[in-house]
Amino acid sequence: MPGDKLLSKWHGRLKVKTTAEQQEAKRKEREKKLKLYNAGTKAAFKKRENGEYDEEGLKITGEILAVNPDFYTLWNFRKEIFVNFLQTRGTDEVQKIMENELYFLESCLKVNPKSYGTWHHRTFIMENMPKPDWDRELQLCNTFLDYDERNFHCWDYRRFVVMMAEVSLDDELGFTTQKITTNFSNYSSWHYRSKLLPMLHPDPTQPAWVQEDVILKGKKKQQISCIHASRKTKRITVLLTRPIMVGRGNSLILSIHGKSVAGQWKTPTGSSSFSVLWIKDLTESIPEEKEVSVSVTLIPDIDKDTQFSQGLQIDADQEEAWVMADFKSGSRFSNELSAATSSTLETELESIKELHGVEPDNKWVLLTMFSLMMAIDRTHSMYKLEIRECIDQLIKVDLKREAYYRDTKSKFILQSILETQDKNAREMSLKDEGLTALYHTEWMLLLTSIDLSNNALSTVKSLSNLRCLKCLCLDNNHLKDLDGLQHCHQLCELSVKINDLNSAEDLYILENNKCLVKINVYGNPLCRYKDHTTKIKKNIPSLLSIDDNKCTSAPS
Amino acid sequence: MGTPVKDVTIPDSALRSLILQKHCDYIASYGTKKDDYEYCITEYLRMSGMYWGLTVMDMMGQLDRMNKDEVIQFIQQCQHECGGIGASVGHDPHLLYTLSAVQILTLYDATDTINVDKVVDYVKNLQQDDGSFYGDKWGEVDTRFSFCAVACLALLKRLDAIDIEHAVEFVLTCMNFDGGFGCRPGSESHSGQIYCCVGMLAIVGQLHHINADLLGWWLCERQLPSGGLNGRPEKLPDVCYSWWVLASLKIIGKIHWIDKAKLTKFILACQDDETGGFADRPGDMVDPFHTLFGIAGLSLLGEDKIKPVNPVFCMPEEVIRGNGIQLELL
Ligand SMILES: [Zn+2]
Repeated sequence: MPGDKLLSKWHGRLKVKTTAEQQEAKRKEREKKLKLYNAGTKAAFKKRENGEYDEEGLKITGEILAVNPDFYTLWNFRKEIFVNFLQTRGTDEVQKIMENELYFLESCLKVNPKSYGTWHHRTFIMENMPKPDWDRELQLCNTFLDYDERNFHCWDYRRFVVMMAEVSLDDELGFTTQKITTNFSNYSSWHYRSKLLPMLHPDPTQPAWVQEDVILKGKKKQQISCIHASRKTKRITVLLTRPIMVGRGNSLILSIHGKSVAGQWKTPTGSSSFSVLWIKDLTESIPEEKEVSVSVTLIPDIDKDTQFSQGLQIDADQEEAWVMADFKSGSRFSNELSAATSSTLETELESIKELHGVEPDNKWVLLTMFSLMMAIDRTHSMYKLEIRECIDQLIKVDLKREAYYRDTKSKFILQSILETQDKNAREMSLKDEGLTALYHTEWMLLLTSIDLSNNALSTVKSLSNLRCLKCLCLDNNHLKDLDGLQHCHQLCELSVKINDLNSAEDLYILENNKCLVKINVYGNPLCRYKDHTTKIKKNIPSLLSIDDNKCTSAPS
Repeated sequence: MGTPVKDVTIPDSALRSLILQKHCDYIASYGTKKDDYEYCITEYLRMSGMYWGLTVMDMMGQLDRMNKDEVIQFIQQCQHECGGIGASVGHDPHLLYTLSAVQILTLYDATDTINVDKVVDYVKNLQQDDGSFYGDKWGEVDTRFSFCAVACLALLKRLDAIDIEHAVEFVLTCMNFDGGFGCRPGSESHSGQIYCCVGMLAIVGQLHHINADLLGWWLCERQLPSGGLNGRPEKLPDVCYSWWVLASLKIIGKIHWIDKAKLTKFILACQDDETGGFADRPGDMVDPFHTLFGIAGLSLLGEDKIKPVNPVFCMPEEVIRGNGIQLELL
């Protein structure tokens, strides 16, 4: 538990070599200090036990809290004393005592400006004081932020003061401007600003990597993106734009020929979690050689009126059918920009490119260019090459974070391919793309065949979303396991040549993939065991071919 | 546009291997010096101190060196009439220490030694209409307390006692443009707070609210040239922040975004081979707090002499699983 700030005492204590005499002197001094401290603590607890809420209590606890502001029980005792004063003494007197308390707190904060307990106590006093002076508090915040502009306790307290004193937001914006002028890279000021400008209008004075994130914060509208129905597997699959948990806040109703169909909705992996993909296995067959109409309705619990439906028809001669909603190009993976914003961003891109010419290895310049291009070019077609180059350059100048940049590049590549691909396509080639991670696999729901060979994948967990997948090529990757593929029930052919599968047991996860007839594990470490084909065949009985060799009939 | 990097340099003399036994001895002897100055003036956090010490001993496989009966008796004495638990005998109840106590009792499989129903009531009564939690009756609100509340109830298998949807809503109002979280709505992102919010969402199964790429980037940007991680931009690296950042990355499935070898080197350099234990930075004084987070960090980085740690609860994975708690991480 991050009680870290409770532990100011355990941070930044440089260990210094001391002599035996110095140590002894220190021990003696500490012994003396401790005696006083313990006596004070004892006296304070005793007074509290006796219900003595008076000035002496303030004095005793004050002495201890001045050196140890994290002693929360003593702050509580102080609060009790003030509650008592408020009930028993005159307004003027209480006002005076509380003013003194503010002085005391200020002196505590000067020694320990990051004490949760001290700041909270100040909040308590200000909330309970007969005549609170909020302007003075704002001044105090200014002082403490001048002293340490990253003190988030003080920024939080400032937010409280601004709210209570009803300071105008324009004035506060002015304050951040002044802070930023003195120190451009003050993260806390930028943060405070981002909260003052909650509207999505980007502020042209903000660094662009901040802007993009503000722009992209808008949430997508819930929608049924795709319904897939299969006679053969008796299975209905639904894709939504936003994750839900069926039964918790949302109901999903499946109807066939207008009659609602019972049965449980499951996620692709069967886990009980939020998901954009929901699957229902029908207990009864979908009638053969007849037209069948299927519809799905999503009903949010809180607002039943916002329900919406999507339907599809399976023709008499169709094994399967689907309906995929139409998407405006560029709308799936990024948010729309207004014309004004677009042109602001383009102007900014021009100037940052100039800067890049001067400082080609500056990481922040590269990052800014990257996010600007990503925001402007929503289909990732216009700056396709430049974006890739930009990421490659980032890897060079910031090698520690290579994995982050490679994943980001993978995401970009997948988005641009998905953007240009026919939405009803059943096949996809992602060969030789340098992919280190798979993104957006829910949009690959309809694929029956995918080639992911010659990439750098170390996991294929998210392929569990590919509900129709029959043929999969994963040759030349870095896979140590095949977790995820057990959910691809239609899988017939799997090629995982030249990966890092260490033993035949790594394949047993596929024992229930009843359609799997062909597998190729050539070039994996597991092939060093001569009996690997026998073992694989024994555990995955449906196989007819292993490593391009016909399986001999299973040993009985 | 770049900012000057605050960082430390790791001295050539720094340790490069794990001195496990010395850490065990350091922790085992820490609680025995009951009249030690430092021990006394940190009494206000004793319960958490015990959680740090006992957890790290368990992860190093030497929990049996600690006095279980004494610990349980102490916890019983710290529970108040309201159900909440204080940091020490006579200290006020607070969510922070209530969680620490429940964590310790879970390690010892002894939650039945205190009045669990009362603990549940205490936690439940601290929830506010907006879904947030007070730390105690005095009304401080902080996302740390949201974590304490759900972690505590999850360990007691009583999550049903609170309004989870509202609790989640409140945590989400503390999310920032950088994908991170602060103490309260409007507060700046801070990795300790991020750990709490991400952990809270993991416990209640709602990690889908997190923008893992955006937050993961902010978190991996915390790694400095020394290999250590800081808690916020422009701050010094620290072993405890290394844990909060690393655990958060693990929970959102992006732990591979930092340079593990460099971080391992930084954490190892924070060991003290005279006294045992870890400090916040190389060359500083050690303490039990950084010792736990140093060891827990190394566990997440794959050190096999340490038991695997659960990134959400910061307790041995075997204890969490043994309790029947299964969390879906991203
Ligand atoms: Zn620290």
